[in-house]
Amino acid sequence: MISLQLTSISRKMLFGAALALLVLAPQVAWAEESSEIDFNRDIRPLLSDRCYACHGPDENHREGGIRFDVAESVLGEADSGETAIVPGKPDESEMIARILSDDESLKMPPPDSNKSLNADEIAKLKQWVAEGAKFQGHWSFEAPKKADPPQVDTPGWNEREIDQFLAARLKKEGLSPSEPADKLTLIRRVTFTLTGLPPMPAEVEAFLKDDSSDAYEKVVDRLLASPQYGEHMARHWLDAARYADTHGLHLDNYREMWMYRDWVIQALTDNKPYDVFLTEQLAGDLLPNPSWEQKVASGFNRCNVTTSEGGSIAAEVKMRNVNDRVVTTGTVFMGLTMDCTRCHDHKYDPLKQKDFYSMYGFFNSIDGNPLDGNAKDHAPTVYSKEATEELAQLDQQIGQKREEIKSTLAKVEYQDPGPGADNPEIQPEEVVWIEDGIPGKATVSGDYNWVTKPEPVFSGEKAAKRTVTGNDQAFFNGSDQPFTVYKGDVLFGYVYLDPKNPPKEVMFQWNNGGWDQRAFWGEDLIPFGTTGKTKHRIGDLPETGKWVRLEVPIEKVGLKEGDKVNGWAFTQWDGTVYWDKAGYVTKHGKQPEFKSLQAWTEFAAKTPAALNPENKQVTEILKKEADKRNEGDLKALRNYFLEFVCQDTQETFNKLRGELKSMTDKQADLKKNAPTTLVYKEAAKPVPSHILIRGEYDQLGDEVPRDVPAFLPPMTEEMPKDRLGLAMWLLDPGHPLTARVAVNRYWQHVFGVGLVKTSEDFGSQGSVPSHPQLLDNLAIEFREGGWDIKQMMKRLVMTSAYRQSSTITPELFKKDPENRLLARGPRHRLDAEALRDQALALSGLLVDKIGGPSVKPPQPDGLWKAVGYSGSNTVQFKADEGHEKVHRRTLYTFIKRTALAPQMSTFDAPNRESCTVRRERTNTPLQALLLMNDPQYVEAAVAMAQRVMDEGGSDPIAKVNYLISLCVLNPENEVQKKELESLYFDSLTYFQQNPEAAGKLVGKDETPAELAAWAIVCNTILNLDEVVIQR
Amino acid sequence: MDPHSEYIQAITRRHFFQKGAMGLGAAALASMTDLPAQAAKLPSSGIGGLPNLPHFAPKAKRAIYLFMAGAPCQMDLFDYKPQMNEWYDKDLPESVRQGQRLTTMTSGQKRFPIAPSKFKFSPYGENGTMISELLPYHGKMVDDISIIKSLHTEAINHDPAITYICTGNQLPGRPSLGSWLSYGLGSMNENLPTFVVMTPNWSGRQQAQALYNRLWGAGFLPSKHSAVTLRKSGDPILFLSNPEGIDSSLRRRMLDSVSKINQETYRLSGDPETQSRISQYEMAFRMQSSVPDLVDLKQETQATLDMYGPDVSKPGTFAASCLLARRMVERDVRFVQIFHRGWDQHGNVAKDLPAQAKDVDQAAWALIQDLKMRGMLDDTLVVWGGEFGRTIYSQGGLSKENYGRDHHPRCFTVWMAGGGVKPGVVHGETDDFSYNIVKDPVHIADLNATILHCLGIDHRRLSIPFQGLDVRLTGVEERHPVKELLL
Repeated sequence: MISLQLTSISRKMLFGAALALLVLAPQVAWAEESSEIDFNRDIRPLLSDRCYACHGPDENHREGGIRFDVAESVLGEADSGETAIVPGKPDESEMIARILSDDESLKMPPPDSNKSLNADEIAKLKQWVAEGAKFQGHWSFEAPKKADPPQVDTPGWNEREIDQFLAARLKKEGLSPSEPADKLTLIRRVTFTLTGLPPMPAEVEAFLKDDSSDAYEKVVDRLLASPQYGEHMARHWLDAARYADTHGLHLDNYREMWMYRDWVIQALTDNKPYDVFLTEQLAGDLLPNPSWEQKVASGFNRCNVTTSEGGSIAAEVKMRNVNDRVVTTGTVFMGLTMDCTRCHDHKYDPLKQKDFYSMYGFFNSIDGNPLDGNAKDHAPTVYSKEATEELAQLDQQIGQKREEIKSTLAKVEYQDPGPGADNPEIQPEEVVWIEDGIPGKATVSGDYNWVTKPEPVFSGEKAAKRTVTGNDQAFFNGSDQPFTVYKGDVLFGYVYLDPKNPPKEVMFQWNNGGWDQRAFWGEDLIPFGTTGKTKHRIGDLPETGKWVRLEVPIEKVGLKEGDKVNGWAFTQWDGTVYWDKAGYVTKHGKQPEFKSLQAWTEFAAKTPAALNPENKQVTEILKKEADKRNEGDLKALRNYFLEFVCQDTQETFNKLRGELKSMTDKQADLKKNAPTTLVYKEAAKPVPSHILIRGEYDQLGDEVPRDVPAFLPPMTEEMPKDRLGLAMWLLDPGHPLTARVAVNRYWQHVFGVGLVKTSEDFGSQGSVPSHPQLLDNLAIEFREGGWDIKQMMKRLVMTSAYRQSSTITPELFKKDPENRLLARGPRHRLDAEALRDQALALSGLLVDKIGGPSVKPPQPDGLWKAVGYSGSNTVQFKADEGHEKVHRRTLYTFIKRTALAPQMSTFDAPNRESCTVRRERTNTPLQALLLMNDPQYVEAAVAMAQRVMDEGGSDPIAKVNYLISLCVLNPENEVQKKELESLYFDSLTYFQQNPEAAGKLVGKDETPAELAAWAIVCNTILNLDEVVIQR
Repeated sequence: MDPHSEYIQAITRRHFFQKGAMGLGAAALASMTDLPAQAAKLPSSGIGGLPNLPHFAPKAKRAIYLFMAGAPCQMDLFDYKPQMNEWYDKDLPESVRQGQRLTTMTSGQKRFPIAPSKFKFSPYGENGTMISELLPYHGKMVDDISIIKSLHTEAINHDPAITYICTGNQLPGRPSLGSWLSYGLGSMNENLPTFVVMTPNWSGRQQAQALYNRLWGAGFLPSKHSAVTLRKSGDPILFLSNPEGIDSSLRRRMLDSVSKINQETYRLSGDPETQSRISQYEMAFRMQSSVPDLVDLKQETQATLDMYGPDVSKPGTFAASCLLARRMVERDVRFVQIFHRGWDQHGNVAKDLPAQAKDVDQAAWALIQDLKMRGMLDDTLVVWGGEFGRTIYSQGGLSKENYGRDHHPRCFTVWMAGGGVKPGVVHGETDDFSYNIVKDPVHIADLNATILHCLGIDHRRLSIPFQGLDVRLTGVEERHPVKELLL
């Protein structure tokens, strides 16, 4: 219906409007039927889309002193002195005059804004003003109100509230529901909806045979009780939670997080109420004495992408991490588009920039580094439940063992036999390692230039004489005769510096697997190592013209007891140097043996290096003069002596210490190897939150306290100002969004499109609900019914609306292309995961194990390498092997965010870089190529063919029938049956003529042609529309 | 005759006599069998684009983006700074740096010693534009291209910076340039993808910055708008080949069954998506012959191959990718993007930069010449550039012979050529230190606005409501196409 005023609109405008109408028609078709103007349905979306950007909530970008989101402003005077809207009088309303103006400088929306109104929209606005210009608050920001469901006379649609609302609307639109779906279609549909899998033949048969009135309900209950339900529901949630197995940015290294994924599966399988589900994820760590599971759940706020790119500024990265948490919380729990308010007030919704940073305060106090260090266990983390329990036990046992050592010490009655009882002297041995050549076989480098007398030689026959300019090195490493060093050992080598041509520096270097043990004398010119860290100055150059023994205690160059030295380097800067005999002086790690405390105390005070380095206290005491040691000191010495030294007590304490060591070793091993998962942990002190001007991390504005958006109900006194309080606030009965947003997602899951189509945006730029009262009722009932998710899912799939046929007529499609009104059952392409799972299930390959680390089924070579950083630990894809890993449900496929598996990305699975609550469903040739040719799908077809051969009956007709029932295809479709039969025979002929081809397709087999022909049929079936879609 | 051509002929005949049961227009079918040159007759407004696009008559119908991932050193290639020779090993004056934030890779350096370019520059072309000895072929084509020396961005690390220039936002989740083009302009070719990406090998240090699928992804747009990556080995497009044991005739037989059964499903259920699925399967089948044909470089003359240089015959090189890009735009693939990695010269400029430059110099020149000779340069836009610039001061050790350069967002150089771009222009100027822009700054979003403009798109008017924002490739700030560059 076009009003008369249209004549005053230019032809150009009309043309534009017609085009716009064309584009918009499908989305608004269902809403246009009703003649009454509803502010929230008809007017607000127009005002929001066309006006709010300049006349909306954002104070900093408001033109003309007028805002169309607030009644007082519109009904009052604008800066121009005009009144925008005079209720009941469109002709006196400046707003209408401006909309209709021909003057480009006055016309609204401005012609260059690309936001023109079409004729129908203008008519609506006029009608609204004429009817009194009634404003309402934005529907989703007001608490839902319960409405009585209408009584309807549609048979079978008056028994359930949902059907009543839907039927009443259908009637109003002049539509009637479709026939109920047949049982076969229904069991396939509901099994996919609730478990993401096709029904198994026995399940189908049982349902077909069951004539009882609650046969369907029994199927629903069985499915809801299955763990596959939990897996399927989890998969949907994990999109929203942006769960993945890599960090997502830069190196995109492995992140170990699968325990969070398993927590989600378990929670949904157990039907954890949504309020608990929400609270544990948002604030599990803040609950009193949080359980292991609750800590794991808090990983929800750790699923954001992170980086450790070289050069990153920590404060900037931190801001991005926190932003993501705020935005995700807004989207998932409230359908709010918080992201807009990072830089400025929201253009369309009453959200302020201040609100963003007030919310930011809840998420910016994490006890951890914002940079992930490219580590899989970016702290804070927890170990697996088993490891956590084992570690707790070990902690206890270790404590007990320490106590036992302590009490045993206390019980020892020690009498000092006097210093005469011991001989503390152990004579060190000098071992020559290098004399006239290198020890054993080794890799040798550089020119040693061995010379004999009369040149200077210190011992043996030869010395190495090198005359050089600048840096010069001769070395060997990898000797097959390495030596082991012990505490207190000293390395030595002899040098003779030519007095006529002395060097500026000489250096020894020892290889213990690496070359970072260096000692030098003289200037610091040789460019290897870092002074003080990996090279150490021992002293000045030795006197020239004579043989000098250079000595270095191993501790001085960072060698440790037990190190094996396999190489030695001799380096000099300039000059002539003779190098001769080299080796080490060792006690072979032998400790003198003591029975006398007094003897040992005297000995140890002289050679502190012999002490256990961990025992600093004893070292300090021994540094004191003997007469300055107090009683406590003496007791500490006694205990140390008895525990570690005394011959008479070593048997007892060695045993105890051995027991302790096996415990601490086990502890260390667990800490190193046990799987972990990222969790949230609040920092000891809350970090203040500031408004960040224009969203810049370093542009701090006013400090803002933690708070919720001001336009929503405030937090009450009993809600703490932390994430726990935030969860309480979200779940408060007065909160207008939480329940609606959740229920809408379940609706979207079951029916394909949400009651609010934009399930991510419930603000004024989002779409309005198709059935607002129904949404409100469901939201209230969900909350009042204890946030029972399974019950909600059951209510949805039990409706007549869900159970009707999904056949589409052209009229119906024209009227309601997206099926928002549900005059037919849901029908859409299966999601990526369901498609692959179906192929595995039908072929009998599917492994039904629940949970555990993610798996890597095969994918084409090079997909990770093509994009990955060469130093990343996910740059090389290595497929898992073995049925138990490659045939798991797709939910468990390893998610590398920067290179998602093609089986996922090709079918619109999000890459989990950010929160996604709604997937697109596209239809592309790449999908066809994948389903036809991906080796995984071909493998499934071959396995399915084998199944047909084994179980499908004797003749091809029986086998086709078997496949039709296995895949729950329409048994009455004769065209299909005939086509599959003829395809089989054509393929059989082909493979009989090309037996090699058959062998290649199916591998070796006694009847490859037959099996291959069935594989072609199965490959075809897996590509059929009926199989690819949920219908 | 092989089953492919046989089938295509049959279906073409059928379609000329009865109207599109398979959902394909006659024009599209014609393009399938005709030579590439005929493709130029197709309407520039594509199949499946937005109805109001292009906003105005486009100069370029297609584009090729040579992306230098890692950020090339502008002062060693294009931005000639002879004054710096006197500044060797002197500290960057604070008056130049102006407290500019640095990455944490060099913010801890005690000094910021200036590293003048060790490479010689010579004048080329009508205006005597100075070009580095590393890019002799660029010298030869300097009158064909327009150089912008005043690009700038805000991001200083690779991941956010490359995500920013490729998707308009530093955070993941937004549609990439090519997916905007696919969404807005649609496809011009029913047999090949609209947007293709290649990731060739490189010769500098092999430890190179990563790429991410999001750089050519569709963000929140439907995934069909994301790029198809053309692979270096194996199937050029994922899962293009039939499995072993299934040949083209058997695949055709199978598809006949799929088609027939799906037609029956459609008759029974009435879902238009089923129809659409039938045509997608047919397109998949056509791609099985059109893509191998596309990548068959044996069809090129020796003269053409020689022009691209010896690398062109090695699969996976930048040269081979450039030639493939030409073959694609010739077949009206809308947008081709080549991501050449290895330009992150934190150290060892002396060895790695010449190697990187050699990878791209001749091939980029050949691409421009090739397009020109075929009369395609006028309606094909070519862009060359990275995600940010590099510092004049040295990172790590400095000698006259070698140095390294850190990330620098405040200025860098790109060039554009062809469809809609004035040839031979040098736009923008930097200070003596190639540190700050002194004339005509061009933000990366202005560059994207310019690219869209050449393709007939007003960047302000191509937006999608998402999460309460009208999301544009060029963001929320005011941006402009660089009019000085436009024909």
